[in-house]
Amino acid sequence: MPELMVLREIAPSATIVPGARIGPFCTIGPHVTIGAGTLCHRRVCIAGHTTIGADNDIAEGCVLGALPQDLKYHGEASLLLVGDRNRLGRNVTIHVGTEAGGWLTRVGNDNVLNDEAHVAHDCYVDDHTFLGRGVLLAGHVRVNVRIGPFCTIGPHVTIGAVMEDQSAAHHFTTIGRYARVRARTPVRRDVPPYTDFYSDNSATSAPGVRGIHKDGILRARLPKDEEVELRFALRELFADETALQTKIEQLRNLGVEGEAAALCTFCQRSLQGPYGRHREVFRGQTPPEAVPPTVGRVSS
Amino acid sequence: MPVISPLAIVEVGATLADDVRVAPFAYVGAQVLLGPGCVIESNATVIGRTELGAGTHVFPLAVVGAPADPAAGAGRCTVGRNNVIREHVTIYAAPGPVVTEIGDDNLIMVGCRIGPGARVGRQGIFANGTDIGAGACVEDFVRTSGITAVAPGARVGAYSFVAGFSRVEGTVPPYAMLQGDPCRVRGVNSELLKRCGFSDEDIRALKLAHRRIYAGAGDGADMDAAADALADRRANEHVKRFAQAVLDAARRDARA
Repeated sequence: MPELMVLREIAPSATIVPGARIGPFCTIGPHVTIGAGTLCHRRVCIAGHTTIGADNDIAEGCVLGALPQDLKYHGEASLLLVGDRNRLGRNVTIHVGTEAGGWLTRVGNDNVLNDEAHVAHDCYVDDHTFLGRGVLLAGHVRVNVRIGPFCTIGPHVTIGAVMEDQSAAHHFTTIGRYARVRARTPVRRDVPPYTDFYSDNSATSAPGVRGIHKDGILRARLPKDEEVELRFALRELFADETALQTKIEQLRNLGVEGEAAALCTFCQRSLQGPYGRHREVFRGQTPPEAVPPTVGRVSS
Repeated sequence: MPVISPLAIVEVGATLADDVRVAPFAYVGAQVLLGPGCVIESNATVIGRTELGAGTHVFPLAVVGAPADPAAGAGRCTVGRNNVIREHVTIYAAPGPVVTEIGDDNLIMVGCRIGPGARVGRQGIFANGTDIGAGACVEDFVRTSGITAVAPGARVGAYSFVAGFSRVEGTVPPYAMLQGDPCRVRGVNSELLKRCGFSDEDIRALKLAHRRIYAGAGDGADMDAAADALADRRANEHVKRFAQAVLDAARRDARA
């Protein structure tokens, strides 16, 4: 693309890898790194200690790496990492992390964040997820993260949770792998993997697991026997959620393996966490995977 | 001297205090007054007859003083001190004699919208996508959760908390936890009251009054109980405010 328009502000100390393209009216802050092939359309503002990988497509009005909306934030230099091949729609906002949340907000690879999606401080969005229009992730949300199966710590290869338009996730929730959160659903507790999470009638019932996300299971491309076992486990666990604990134990006694076992682990952790949120136990303490960044304080 | 990026546009006639910072591609209109320490980030817009108090921070792509009706000309909008106006927020200015008024120390998060003629108190926190309608009134220390809608002309009492996805219509009392579409009083916002230094005695009295007036169900207020609480000379002043708001709301609803 010929560089027709140069009306933009890129701080001299920013690292723009050759091949990245920055459109008009963009502003790039001094501690920003942008990888090859990434395209910032018009009016994109990138601030903070932000690293953006390769081949991302960042549409108009996105603001990345702005200060967290957390009252405990005190000016520490925290990070935002965005991986490769993500597609960010218009007016997407992603904030940097906080010290209390582990210094880091991270978006993995191959995600689609639709218009006006918001990823707050200390969220982890893993790979191949889909966030619909206006999806809100409050601080400390983990979407679809696993290390070993379904532990909520650290990065690893993962694949697609789906959050439809205007759904919102509460602080410290975890959205399991390949789960589907339907439009306008408030997520106040962990969403187990491979489930379909919504509310039949928002006036009378709290949102919960209402079925299996069949499409998600197909996309996971599990070996046939593992898939059969997973479907069995899902049916058993969510036929009657009041008996979840007993069902988990029964399934474990049966010796389920792979994704089904991981599903049990996920549900067990969520049951143990306050309000059905496994990550809630990290409230007020720095999570174990946290690494202080090797950068100085943000100068105002 | 204010620090104005050569890539920003500040119209002739705008009044900027000494240490104001205006980032690239920001636009400041001719009738704007920016107090000391204001920061206007990149691509933000401040227009209309708008006044920003000291230390107010306008984040990228926010618009303050947007005309509600472009044909009516520039409207008025006053924003107090130390407000944080996050990305993509739109604050409309009111045409004519009305003013959009925002107090001090509010945190207005990403994508909120404050309609023309709305009045917002101080120390409020409005989570992402909160929509405060035209002419609505939000008192001090109010918290809203994500995607809350305050209907035009509605009134939210001080120290109340509105849960996510809720809609506020008419008048809702102070000190309350509100939830639903339209919202109902679900309890007393004791956590915030504690943080704001209310005594245990005050909080207990409010909880008791809430139980008496709403009978725990939260669906409809018992007007007799509210009137009793108000008539009781020994009643706690906060309880009286609470009861008064419940009665006012009922009267207003009856008129409507």
